[in-house]
Amino acid sequence: MLSVESITKQFDRNRPPAVDDLSFSVEKGRICGLLGHNGAGKSTALGVVLGMVYPDAGGVTIDEVAVQHEREKAIAKVGAIFEAPAFYDYLSGWKNLKVLTSYSGGVSESEMMEMVEWVGLEERIHDRISKYSHGMRQRLALAQALLPRPELLILDEPTDGLDPEGIVEFREQVLELRDRLGLTVLLSSHLLSEVEQVCDEIVILQKGKKVYEGGVQDFGSDDVTFAIEAENSDALIFAWEKIGGRKVGDEFLISQDQNPSDCLAALVNEGVKVSRFTQQENSLESLYLQVSSGEKKEGKA
Amino acid sequence: MRLFCQQLGWELYRLFARRRTYIGFGIFLLVEIVFYLIWTRGGGARQLERMIERFAGGLDEYLSGLTLAFLMVAFTMLLLGVIFVSLIAGDILAKESEDGNLRLLLVRPISRFRLLLLKFLSCQIYTTTLFLFVAASSLFIGCLGQGWGGKMLVAAPDLPKVSLFDWWEGMGRYFFAILGFSVVYLPVIGIAFLLGSLRVKPATATIVTIAILIADRIMGKMPLEAFDPYRDYFITSRMDAWYLLLYQEIPWVSD
Repeated sequence: MLSVESITKQFDRNRPPAVDDLSFSVEKGRICGLLGHNGAGKSTALGVVLGMVYPDAGGVTIDEVAVQHEREKAIAKVGAIFEAPAFYDYLSGWKNLKVLTSYSGGVSESEMMEMVEWVGLEERIHDRISKYSHGMRQRLALAQALLPRPELLILDEPTDGLDPEGIVEFREQVLELRDRLGLTVLLSSHLLSEVEQVCDEIVILQKGKKVYEGGVQDFGSDDVTFAIEAENSDALIFAWEKIGGRKVGDEFLISQDQNPSDCLAALVNEGVKVSRFTQQENSLESLYLQVSSGEKKEGKA
Repeated sequence: MRLFCQQLGWELYRLFARRRTYIGFGIFLLVEIVFYLIWTRGGGARQLERMIERFAGGLDEYLSGLTLAFLMVAFTMLLLGVIFVSLIAGDILAKESEDGNLRLLLVRPISRFRLLLLKFLSCQIYTTTLFLFVAASSLFIGCLGQGWGGKMLVAAPDLPKVSLFDWWEGMGRYFFAILGFSVVYLPVIGIAFLLGSLRVKPATATIVTIAILIADRIMGKMPLEAFDPYRDYFITSRMDAWYLLLYQEIPWVSD
């Protein structure tokens, strides 16, 4: 559905490229998370995908249509929430939808109302945007992105500023869109838990380069993660590294061929007073920290 | 074409839905009323009477609502026209870009050229509507004070001689000239729009446009012979062309 091929974009000659030779693809009906620190190049990459930023090299195709050559045709299949959605505050939500959809060729009122009901804004849709809460604006943003029905949904930090309830609701909506309509979703976020719970696959960017691409379920399969507490943390780290383990963030990692019981015994033998030794599910956070520290490379080339 | 008109309609709807439009139009109306009161109660009326006696005779006929309406429009637009139009045109891109509205439009399947064309055209239509509003409200105020009917006298510094019209011919010329007046504002819209498309604050686009036009007007009117060969090249000199539509005989360009 979406294919990003070797895109490079450098805004300033004296600075490294914002995006450097980035390639990845997202198949139809999949949800892909684009992860990275602030300034990692996520927004630039999304800008190139949406044809808002012209790449110095490379290109993007959406459903076999090249964005850089036939932007309007390619983007006709895309709905997007690009950064914080800013609506016309002095107009109602309904009028905003009318204005925005007119740029996509117009949408019937029944289709608009159906979408408004789906995002749960039917009671407030005729209120001015200036009276909307952040969560309501976000719901309206989702509605406008889905009108007219897109095949690819691009979400840039969609849950930024939402309360926990709003985040959960948004997450469920995205999953429902994938399951019910078969939408392909490209989601940029810095919330690792969000990406972990929603995405099928992830692409991690660091300084404009891709440092990991793979399935969310695939990562970390060659490591086992532990939460370990001890009286003397320095001694614990020293002993852990001595037995071949690694510490990434707050997590302690060993390779799968090592026996956890042997490791615990080795720690005790080293004189470490261990008060907690719990094996953990490999989290996206640990993967993210691994690739950030350069310990792990691409899951898929 | 239908879709283009629909999009243009929504652009205009957005412009007219802003509170600024009503406040702006209200201020224009207020200035017209103030002008009318000062003119009729101050020395302006006597000056006009003297002029009418000198050029046309028949004071009652020429001191009409139409004659006053023309003066009100010229005065009001001279005072506020450039400021308001450059505010609208400078704002339409710069403010939307600053607020982030433009991003929501740019992710839609529409070319940038078309988007800019829609916004530019909406500015021009908005300007024409403003001029027609000022023209109609000035005529209303003028007729309220002087009554319906009579003749029209047009005297302005850029007119070589006074033009005299019957009521209906004057009415036609009045609105024709107003349309021309709104069209000569294209450079104002163009400059403000261009500046607004750069990465500047909306106020910067407006202020720089006004500054350019003031500097242009001062240089264009500079009483120095050295400026004579260049006078026609100044933007504001060209903008004065709308007066030609109020000549007794319009000097159409034949070739």
